[in-house]
Amino acid sequence: SFALLHVAVQGTVSLQCSNVRRGFHRAALLRLASDSKSDTSVPPPSYHEVHTAGESSSSSAQGESSEDAQPNTSFQDQSGEHGEDYETEEQLQARILTAALEFVPQHGWTVEAIAAAAETLGLSSASTGMFNNGAGDLVLHFVAQCNAQLAETLAEQNNQVQLGQAEAKKTAEFLKDAVETRLRMLIPYIDTWPQAMSILLLPHNIPDSLKHLSTMVDDIWYYAGDRSTDVNWYTRRAALTGIYNTTELVMVQDSSPDFEETWAFLDNRIKDVVNMANTAKQVQATGEAVVQGLMGAAITLKNLTGMNQRR
Amino acid sequence: MQRAAKCALRLDLSRAFCLSRSGTVVVMQKSLPPPRDEEEKAMLDSMLRVDHAGEYGANRIYAGQMAVLSRTRTGPLIQYMWDQEKMHLEKFNEILGEHRVRPTLLLPLWNIAGFALGMILTRIACLLAFEGTMSCTVAVEESISEHYNSQIQTLMEAEPERYTELLQVIKEFCDDEKKNRDTGLEHDAESVPGYLLLKTVIQVDCKAAIYILQRI
Repeated sequence: SFALLHVAVQGTVSLQCSNVRRGFHRAALLRLASDSKSDTSVPPPSYHEVHTAGESSSSSAQGESSEDAQPNTSFQDQSGEHGEDYETEEQLQARILTAALEFVPQHGWTVEAIAAAAETLGLSSASTGMFNNGAGDLVLHFVAQCNAQLAETLAEQNNQVQLGQAEAKKTAEFLKDAVETRLRMLIPYIDTWPQAMSILLLPHNIPDSLKHLSTMVDDIWYYAGDRSTDVNWYTRRAALTGIYNTTELVMVQDSSPDFEETWAFLDNRIKDVVNMANTAKQVQATGEAVVQGLMGAAITLKNLTGMNQRR
Repeated sequence: MQRAAKCALRLDLSRAFCLSRSGTVVVMQKSLPPPRDEEEKAMLDSMLRVDHAGEYGANRIYAGQMAVLSRTRTGPLIQYMWDQEKMHLEKFNEILGEHRVRPTLLLPLWNIAGFALGMILTRIACLLAFEGTMSCTVAVEESISEHYNSQIQTLMEAEPERYTELLQVIKEFCDDEKKNRDTGLEHDAESVPGYLLLKTVIQVDCKAAIYILQRI
């Protein structure tokens, strides 16, 4: 039976149900899983962690309207289950991938880690067939999770500043802290991170990894207080992307205690960017002054030669 | 699921307050509901991006016109209309910042192109007709009103109750533009020979601009 599916899900969860083919696929896999496992009374050890991680990203979706749940009916019909006690394929995938992170130090960012996680959750290791992208899915899931955590942390800090419980940081300090917070999330996986980076650079993963990167940079600048609506929007985000990427590269080959060199590098890069911005402003101001001066000279010349009079 | 949830989470977290540059908190009146999925966010994003770039361009076109017409009898009138456009641009700047909409990459280009368009077309119109003609203004305002009208239609067809504040803003701006156009018409803008040609050129320009802006 599909006892595995009876994971208590609180409230309605909005989702984008994929097409019928995936529904079939999943039903087939779960039939396979239920055949090969014995009893399922004990929930998997990482369930809580997974559930809270899954909840943090889906809790906000609970408030969404139920019209998004309608595409589920085809899936429900196939599995034969109704009511609240079902888990969507995406939720199951998220659960497996989060569990797989525990096996990354051992197996690296590979399908083996996913298979090992599937087995701890009581599924067959053939469940890795659910992940068309294999290790790419695992890395992208981790990146998304880290970005969501960062966004929450930044929002919480913002909240505290709003309530007057904390001082607002200066932009440079804010950026440094945000990037440091985000990069520290890599520390548990730092030994295998170069492998993950190379996976993210594979052509079919580039669109997704760029999207994650740009969302993260946009989040950081938004909470830093950037509300620009001109070219600055682009230059600031480009600068921060550069800083983040270079610092990440420094971090993977840093062997100093607690990555001191990395944070020093980050500090210097941010100072550079701030300096450049100030210099740019000065250049612009000087340029404007020069133009004014030239125009003044031209008008004076016109006056002197009598060309400026209306006859 | 992940993306829709993330999208909603990002905007929920930024709800109701934002940090201005000095670090003080500014409570803003939200003009848009938080988008319920990626599609809606993309649609609203592109609409607001086009509107923002449009107002920015209109600003620059008026600046170009003023460069030519500032000493004529229509100078003060054009200045008044220009100030109105500046207010519109302010409002859109606010909305863009509030809702984390990306401004278009082509703004620097719009800066130059708008100014050039305003200046050149007004000069041509002045050469062909009397000095201080407002044909360029009328043609531009006509295109912009048409554009706002089609946006209002799109929003009304989708879900009018959801977008009440945004509809209000766009309707208000649309009415302002129509008023400016009527004022221009009162000043005999249509008496320029080749007015139809001018109008067509500007309309084609605007349509091409809107097409590009929705994408970039």
